[in-house]
Amino acid sequence: MSSPFSINGGACVAMRGKNCVAIACDLRLGLQSLTVSNNFPKIFQYSPTAFLGLTGLATDVSTVSELFRYKVNMYRLREERDIAPKTFAQLVSSSLYERRFGPWFVSPVVAGIDGKSGAPFICGFDSIGCIDYAADFIVSGTASDQLFGTCEGLWEPDLEPDDLFETISQALLNAVDRDALSGWGAHVYIIEKDKVTKRLLKGRQD
Amino acid sequence: MAALSHHHLSSTAPFAFQQAPPQNHSGEPTQHAFYPYTDNGGSTLGISGKTFTVIAGDTRSTSGYNINTRYAPKLYPIGGQGPTHKGSKIVLSVVGFAADGRALQERLDTVVKMYRYQHGCEISVKACAQRLSHILYNKRFFPYYVQAILGGIDEETGEGALYSYDPVGSYEREYCRAAGAAASLIMPFLDNQVNLKNQYEPAAVSGFDKKQLVPQPLERPQVEELVRDAFTSAVERHIEVGDGLQMMFITKEGIEEVYFPLKKD
Amino acid sequence: MNALVSRYSQPAYQHEGHSDNDTQKQLALDVAPSLSLNFALPPIASTASWLRAMTDDHANPNVPIKLAHGTTTLAFRFKGGIIVATDSRATAGNWIASQTVKKVIEINSCLLGTMAGGAADCQYWLAYLGMQCRLHELRHKRRISVAAASKILANLVYSYKGMGLSMGTMCAGVTPMEGPALYYVDNDGTRLAGNLFCVGSGQTFAYGVLDAEYKYDMEEDEALELGRRSILAATHRDAYSGGFVNLYHIKEEGWVRHGFNDTNPLFWKYKLEKGEFSNVTSQLV
Repeated sequence: MSSPFSINGGACVAMRGKNCVAIACDLRLGLQSLTVSNNFPKIFQYSPTAFLGLTGLATDVSTVSELFRYKVNMYRLREERDIAPKTFAQLVSSSLYERRFGPWFVSPVVAGIDGKSGAPFICGFDSIGCIDYAADFIVSGTASDQLFGTCEGLWEPDLEPDDLFETISQALLNAVDRDALSGWGAHVYIIEKDKVTKRLLKGRQD
Repeated sequence: MAALSHHHLSSTAPFAFQQAPPQNHSGEPTQHAFYPYTDNGGSTLGISGKTFTVIAGDTRSTSGYNINTRYAPKLYPIGGQGPTHKGSKIVLSVVGFAADGRALQERLDTVVKMYRYQHGCEISVKACAQRLSHILYNKRFFPYYVQAILGGIDEETGEGALYSYDPVGSYEREYCRAAGAAASLIMPFLDNQVNLKNQYEPAAVSGFDKKQLVPQPLERPQVEELVRDAFTSAVERHIEVGDGLQMMFITKEGIEEVYFPLKKD
Repeated sequence: MNALVSRYSQPAYQHEGHSDNDTQKQLALDVAPSLSLNFALPPIASTASWLRAMTDDHANPNVPIKLAHGTTTLAFRFKGGIIVATDSRATAGNWIASQTVKKVIEINSCLLGTMAGGAADCQYWLAYLGMQCRLHELRHKRRISVAAASKILANLVYSYKGMGLSMGTMCAGVTPMEGPALYYVDNDGTRLAGNLFCVGSGQTFAYGVLDAEYKYDMEEDEALELGRRSILAATHRDAYSGGFVNLYHIKEEGWVRHGFNDTNPLFWKYKLEKGEFSNVTSQLV
């Protein structure tokens, strides 16, 4: 019996640049060795500059992403403003800990830019909500070991948006090419203070 | 944090193979299984160039969370004479269970020396590589717990030759290979930087028409820098890798050894 | 006299105590021919179940020794000979250990073997088979038949049955007496003759394409194309297959290699030029 975290496969990575952040995911959804879908994005947008990446068990990825859509909508109605990435991270953390003894089988990643200060923000979580703040990059999914290697080798501080795009794309593509359970294309978001660029990467289809 | 995150559901330590088979806590008599292996951690890496091959390995030896020593070489010159391995032009690197690694090194060394005594000439890397495969397979039913990389110079072309092995002797000639604890961190980086995977010519055409870059053999300074980068990265993210980096450059002149300190935390 | 002395005296090192039977055996092995059938065994009663506990990652993903696995291989007979095609990926668990494995083993100029299952088992035993085939040639002054070669292999693996060998292999060749001949041999000892086989974790996907398009009376280029397309389909859907398409054609004169082609450009060519694989997105919506 394999771990619920590696039944469906998938990878996600977030990186910090100079006044920008990037978040990227692969597109595979599989059932062990069988690739079921090549179009299963794992990044979800919750405000103009707050993004959540979810890897792990696909059913939980869908459910948790919808759960946060509900929670963030309620936040927006009550507060009459968009949620800041830092606040969203706390929401993710406390929501995951509510399921401390029957967790969602997901490894979330948050990336965004603070609407007011313009400060870039990234963080990751374990499946029960422990926040991992990072100044460089956050990885998750079945290719996390590979992503640690490529990110540690390619990332450098204060990358401009274009260079950050190249760096995160190379880090993700080369990592998933060494993992049987992720790949089959990728989505990359480059998030600047008042601009979000979404790109589709042509990845290996094997 | 590290102990909690990601793997909190799994009963084994997330970083390595477990040290002993699972214990029986139900009160029944515990059966002691035959478990002759220890994972001593560490990582090795090899890259072959136009006129040389480099084999590198860190020098930390671990068992579980403990560090046995900060200087235990994983690289062995094969077939040389005396304690300095004079005249050797083949290097074996082994990672996994260090005792099996040493046993394997001694066997291969004996084989290569016997070859010289019997044939009056040095063994070719190709023949040595095949022989190593057979030595590993001879223990198919009681495997050496090792991942081996063999490096030398191809006698026919003068180019670097690099062979990588699984524990029971399946082998392949390659241009670059990482093995051991941090192989999963290093290998995708090498794919990108040595074999130029996922890199395309920056021409102004649409994404689908871009041409893939063709890898060229690297020069020695470039390779040395890549090896150092790969290991400094691995040290940051893997607890079994660190302390020192030992590199052996094999050229037609012989073996040159370089040592480079790594972080000791 | 000298013969007597050498027969009844032993070199000094044998009396030093440390050189027990084991090291003697090892020394003998070091000098013996390297393709030997003398395997070391662990010092316990149930060697097979111990080996399974150490190496079978299907039963327990945390085994200490992970062996390379996972494959798609196929071979089929047609009027112009035999097509043999494989992917080139080796996986250990979910880790892709290599994308450049040569899974077609050239036994001799008209005999090919394919490799699925344990990489080392296939490499070693097909090399051993190559040796046996050459000995047969020298002894009988003619080339071995594919039937005989595959039977040597089948009998060999049968003698190791239950010991944990893992191989699913095809022996393909053209000989004057048999014409094109194709045999499937696996570690259970199964040996089957047939027109068409796919073996490995991606076999079902390959069969899907191959069965739909296969006709015995295909032209050579049609047959090569079908082999390539079947492997490509399998690499796309099977996580444990991928890398390169390794293509061979065996004719009466011997085998011809038709390249070792990266699946990535190949896939996009089929998708963008022929409109196949419409399930894959190439546009951001």
